[in-house]
Amino acid sequence: MPPDKRNRFILDRPTGRVLRARDALICVFVAVIALLLIEGASIRNSGKKMDSGIQRSVVLAVGHPAGWLADQLPLADIVHDLTASLSPDDDLSGGPGGFSSAPVGGGPVSTAGGGAAAPITTDSFDSAELGEKPVKLPELKKLLVAGDSLAQPLDVQLARNLAGDGVATTRDAHLGTGISKSDLVDWGLLSAKQVKDESPDAVVMFIGANEGFPFRAAGGKRIECCGPQWAVIYATRARSMMNTYRRDGDARLYWLNLPMPRDQARQKIARAVNAAIAVAAQPYRSQVRLLDMSAVFTPGGTYRAAMDVKGRQTLVRRQDGIHLNDAGAAVATEIVAARIRQDFEKLG
Amino acid sequence: MCLARGRPYPQMVFPTIQFAVFFPIVLVLSWALMKRQRVWKPFMLTASFVFYSAANWTFCIMLAGMILGNQAAAKLIHRSEDQRRRKLIVVLAVVADLATLGVFKYYGFFATEINATLDSFGLGLPIPLADIVLPVGISFITFQAISYTVDVYRGLITPATTIDVGLYLSFFPHLVAGPIVRAKEFIPQLQGPRDPRKVAVGAGVALIVIGLVKKVAIADFLAREIVDPVFGVPQAYSAPDAILASYAYAVQIFCDFSGYTDIAIGLALLLGYVFPQNFDRPYRAASFGEFWRRWHMTLSRFLRDFLYIPLGGNRKGKLKTVRNLMITMLLGGLWHGAAWGFILWGAIHGTALVVEHLFRGKIKLPRWLGWVLVFHIVVLAWIPFRAPDLELAGAFYGRFLEWGPATLWTAPVVIVTFLVIAYQLLPVRPLDAIRVRFEQLHPVALGLSMATIVVLVAATVSSQGVPPFIYFSF
Repeated sequence: MPPDKRNRFILDRPTGRVLRARDALICVFVAVIALLLIEGASIRNSGKKMDSGIQRSVVLAVGHPAGWLADQLPLADIVHDLTASLSPDDDLSGGPGGFSSAPVGGGPVSTAGGGAAAPITTDSFDSAELGEKPVKLPELKKLLVAGDSLAQPLDVQLARNLAGDGVATTRDAHLGTGISKSDLVDWGLLSAKQVKDESPDAVVMFIGANEGFPFRAAGGKRIECCGPQWAVIYATRARSMMNTYRRDGDARLYWLNLPMPRDQARQKIARAVNAAIAVAAQPYRSQVRLLDMSAVFTPGGTYRAAMDVKGRQTLVRRQDGIHLNDAGAAVATEIVAARIRQDFEKLG
Repeated sequence: MCLARGRPYPQMVFPTIQFAVFFPIVLVLSWALMKRQRVWKPFMLTASFVFYSAANWTFCIMLAGMILGNQAAAKLIHRSEDQRRRKLIVVLAVVADLATLGVFKYYGFFATEINATLDSFGLGLPIPLADIVLPVGISFITFQAISYTVDVYRGLITPATTIDVGLYLSFFPHLVAGPIVRAKEFIPQLQGPRDPRKVAVGAGVALIVIGLVKKVAIADFLAREIVDPVFGVPQAYSAPDAILASYAYAVQIFCDFSGYTDIAIGLALLLGYVFPQNFDRPYRAASFGEFWRRWHMTLSRFLRDFLYIPLGGNRKGKLKTVRNLMITMLLGGLWHGAAWGFILWGAIHGTALVVEHLFRGKIKLPRWLGWVLVFHIVVLAWIPFRAPDLELAGAFYGRFLEWGPATLWTAPVVIVTFLVIAYQLLPVRPLDAIRVRFEQLHPVALGLSMATIVVLVAATVSSQGVPPFIYFSF
């Protein structure tokens, strides 16, 4: 090929010897075999976590035999032990204390020793409603914004909104995760870890873009979305998370329900999730604020991509018909921030 | 291989399992079919479309339309002997290419801005709102399509066969984020089978490995540890963190983008094809002219050959040179995306080039001082480029004046940031000798080395998976 005199090509610099095409194939073949033997199980697990479709089928077609082969050899364990210190975060894909290990897939894993029926304590009551003198509002120093991809860009907008008030915001969105999907991240484990690590005064939770996965009941029975049985397990898991986040009444939780997605099948899931969240929050009414995003963005349960924002018709949803775009997140941020300001001192 | 663990990818980008399955199959079949070009070309075209369709199959319609449209224009230009007619066709073809880019990439931006302006005068919102899906790599595909049609118009190449044009525009290693390969560089490589006795295997593998390390171990690490937090909420950080984050972003964007092009060039080499170099230690530049000869070289030469020189370059007096430089850099900024931050970034570079041009020969700075000035202006110019909007870019600059604790200064972040910068300043790259040695390894050793580095790099990936390459959104 005639090289362009005005532009250098990668082979113009000193380089190694030129080999044959066969050597390229040998090199790639060796690398592929080594990776299959070491990472076969990871390939299989990654395939299982992918959304259904041809890409998932292809990855699983490779992952299943590679995973089986890797399971027979000690290589993967050795490599995992050697490289574990390089990993930037913990494995939260299940295990003791998580949803996936609990009975009916959703037992309590709270830090407060909750149980299926939450204890009723004085902090369950709103002093003003009882005609008592309002108690002194707590101070908000640490805010945690968590969830799945729905929590972005809400998290960063909320952090900016409250930064001027001296609130330190931790943003911990876990994309592609769900409460009904514990193989990637187990929210039972994750919520406990977040509370342990951060001790937040308030938590904002926006999750539900990846729900609708079947639960596994005792005896191995599959419980498909989105009937009452499915909603019971979802609500149990959500309630367990709420109990964890409310930190025995020391923290406030702001849980955003789902604006209706465009897709009809997803609407069915969103309705089940919203109903489950509403039930889950009932015992914690003075600490858990349910913020009705469905009413704001999709009044009457009808999807709309644009709405009136400050007198101007504005697109508020992303192209996928699920997430909020920047403008939509700004609307949600105003609502959440306003509610937070009501609950804490020195804000506003 | 769990580089993409944690987040199922909507598209088949390089560091994913899907691509790790796709590429070896394509590589084997490519070399098996290479001698039979009539079979190889449809095969490679199909493979490239499969790669592209993994993002969204509807994008393939746009890609096929651009291939056929530009090929038709090139044929018409070649057949016509009337210069005015030839010019008309090339202008129409370029306008059509740019219109495609404009609709997909800039419609939302301009509709919002025009509506806001008209609304402020009480004239309502006449332009309908639409959130159009941006086809992956459209900016790169458009420029390469223009390159083909204009190169035919200029007589630098004759029209290729339709399948060759299809391969040129869709060849999967460069399809999504470059390098921007000129038609006259790539189409001649399609004239016959590549020589299977001359394949730069070592160079290809070295580039792939270096690219992976740059992207996953450096760029994503810095993004996670300092860049994303500080650029996300600059108000929450004080000067020390803002200063380190600005240097770290300069390193992140370099490692992210050059990492991608390293992998693209390496993959092409294994397939027997050669792409132009895209980066050459840009942060050692002591002038802005030099910076643009080292940074995204294939874009800067495209802008030079297809915009700056046709506008008149520096041949028509100082005033027009200034105008041409500013137009070129403003449009270069806008090419990255429809946002005022990119336009401001282009304006800063354009102004710097103008100042440099006006004072050339009048003021001679020592090289070290030139480097200090250029490097720091480049770093400061990245801030509006990275910030979500101009207001936040302003807030970020404001943090430089707010002294406070350094909350994000950790040893790994500081070391990685300054090592990458310092490495570019060395007169002879010490790792070059290691790279050449690596490239000379036996193919089996090369394969084992590649697997080892992939496993190590994969171990550093967070549970959130590998974020997309920055330039995928451009």
